[in-house]
Amino acid sequence: MTALHETVAAKPQAAPHAHVARKDPKRWLRFALALIITAVALVPVAVVVLLALRPATGSTSHAFITFENLINVFRTTDTPIWLANSLAVTLGTVVVAVAVAAPAGYVLSRGRSKAVSGYSLLLFVIQSLPVITAVIPLFILFAKLHLVDNLIGLGIIYVGVSMSVAIWMMAAYMDSIPISLEQAAWIDGASLFRGFRSIVLRNSLPGILSTAIFTYLVSWNDYLVAIVFIRTETKFTLPLGVESFFQQNVTDWGDVMAVAIVMMAPPILIFAFLHRYFSVGGIGGALAGT
Amino acid sequence: MTSAIGTTKQASGVTTPQRPRRAARRLDVNKATMLALIAPSVVLLLLINAYPLVSAANQSLHNGTLISSGSFVGLDNYRSVLTSPQFWQAAEFTLIFTIVGVFGSWAVGLGLALLLQTDIPGRSLLKVLLLLPWVVPIVVSATSINYLVATPSSPVPSLFHALGLGAPLFLANPGWAKVTVCVYKIWVSFPFMMLMASAALSSVPDTVYEAAQMDGAGAVARFRRITLPMIARPTYISWILMTIFCVNDFPTIYLLTGGGPISATTTLVVLAYRTVFQNFLVGPGVAIAFLMTLALVVVSVVLYRQIRKAAFH
Repeated sequence: MTALHETVAAKPQAAPHAHVARKDPKRWLRFALALIITAVALVPVAVVVLLALRPATGSTSHAFITFENLINVFRTTDTPIWLANSLAVTLGTVVVAVAVAAPAGYVLSRGRSKAVSGYSLLLFVIQSLPVITAVIPLFILFAKLHLVDNLIGLGIIYVGVSMSVAIWMMAAYMDSIPISLEQAAWIDGASLFRGFRSIVLRNSLPGILSTAIFTYLVSWNDYLVAIVFIRTETKFTLPLGVESFFQQNVTDWGDVMAVAIVMMAPPILIFAFLHRYFSVGGIGGALAGT
Repeated sequence: MTSAIGTTKQASGVTTPQRPRRAARRLDVNKATMLALIAPSVVLLLLINAYPLVSAANQSLHNGTLISSGSFVGLDNYRSVLTSPQFWQAAEFTLIFTIVGVFGSWAVGLGLALLLQTDIPGRSLLKVLLLLPWVVPIVVSATSINYLVATPSSPVPSLFHALGLGAPLFLANPGWAKVTVCVYKIWVSFPFMMLMASAALSSVPDTVYEAAQMDGAGAVARFRRITLPMIARPTYISWILMTIFCVNDFPTIYLLTGGGPISATTTLVVLAYRTVFQNFLVGPGVAIAFLMTLALVVVSVVLYRQIRKAAFH
């Protein structure tokens, strides 16, 4: 439970032995080691960027870097449609998930009845259950409701899959907002809902942002749910698009990596600018079983 | 922190001492508000999480397909699953994949966290860069790994060849495919472990180390006697989470090897997926998913007990 509640900002911490380390001759050795490990770890990421920006074989361009492949995949493939589908599904998922998780998180944070703590425990159990167990019966149910091969159906599942962690993240953030503010408002005659809306919610922006990033990553990166529920190529989200495009153009690495870079760029940009709001437990959950 | 409802009772008691009836009504209103706030999430959880679980339990006792519910067969599905060699092969690789994934990523993550805790130039930048394997979508990194290792003329096999280590078939040879999938999982997961370990390490007060240093404890002794015990609790939590992530992991394996070659890298999730959506055997597929869930719950409970023990120390 604690792990999921810990929001860890990737901020630099003060070096524990800074005064000692300054004279440490091993400092540069450690630096070299860290540098080598980082370089090796980034090879798979660098490969995507390099291949996507490298002029295609047989290209007339002599530039070292070119956007030819990127322009090419946008012009000649379904990449724009996949991108639009992914954006629509993720945006819908994030909005609905936050709208549902924020009030539920408030109840979890402020309510102290047995029913509420039971619900909290239930959420923990649910989030550790394999997605595959839920996907099979949902496929049968959604087939009857005409929600298979349907982006709205996909969004509904993403909201459900991310819900338990999202509620926890909201509750954890709201725990940090002192209840005394609401108590003052209640004494002034404000309703419980009013206290939630104009005091707690208004002060929860960082928590909302963390939750939004988490739900965004769940839906943007998901492969398992998408491959089960989406059939038509024009309804593919980017993960399905990247995968199918790769299978069909296995040797055309420039174009394959260009589609891959379209998928990789948004999470990296969000991470670059908002890494303060990345939550350890949240992102861990984002990659679990999807 | 006191109960919101209880607090409101006091609050309204303060404002309306002469009107208890109104206070009672207000309490009901607050209960109704709480219910209204939590209701949408309950509905969604019932639909997306509870209904499928009940439905799956039912399906595992029937011989249905994706379009018909079939007839009741009792525990036949479980019997056929538990006696099939494919199941045990997948269970064995799931175990290997999970153990290597959890402890491999933990060792790398903790090592890097310790390294980046020391004073080295540009460590906050390095820390951010090292989180990238985790931020990059699996579909993208799996494609990249494919480029790097798939054929004998790919960069990594070529490098092996140039170093005189032969040119292993990283994805086509069953043994090597297992190694590749496990190493890939460690690559994807070590940033998570690094973050968890960094957070844990930063909570250990410096004074503890200074005292130990004065007592003449060496670096190894300080690590074993002080660091490890002091970060035991967050370490166990990270192991539990990573166990869940590894057992439930589908794309890492499916996108890299599809479970092959000759089902060498098939885990239980991949097997359940294939049984249902490629062989159209819903009952046995759900049974596999259920057995896997059961094993996961058992392991989580055992590790959870370790946490509580660690909390007492």
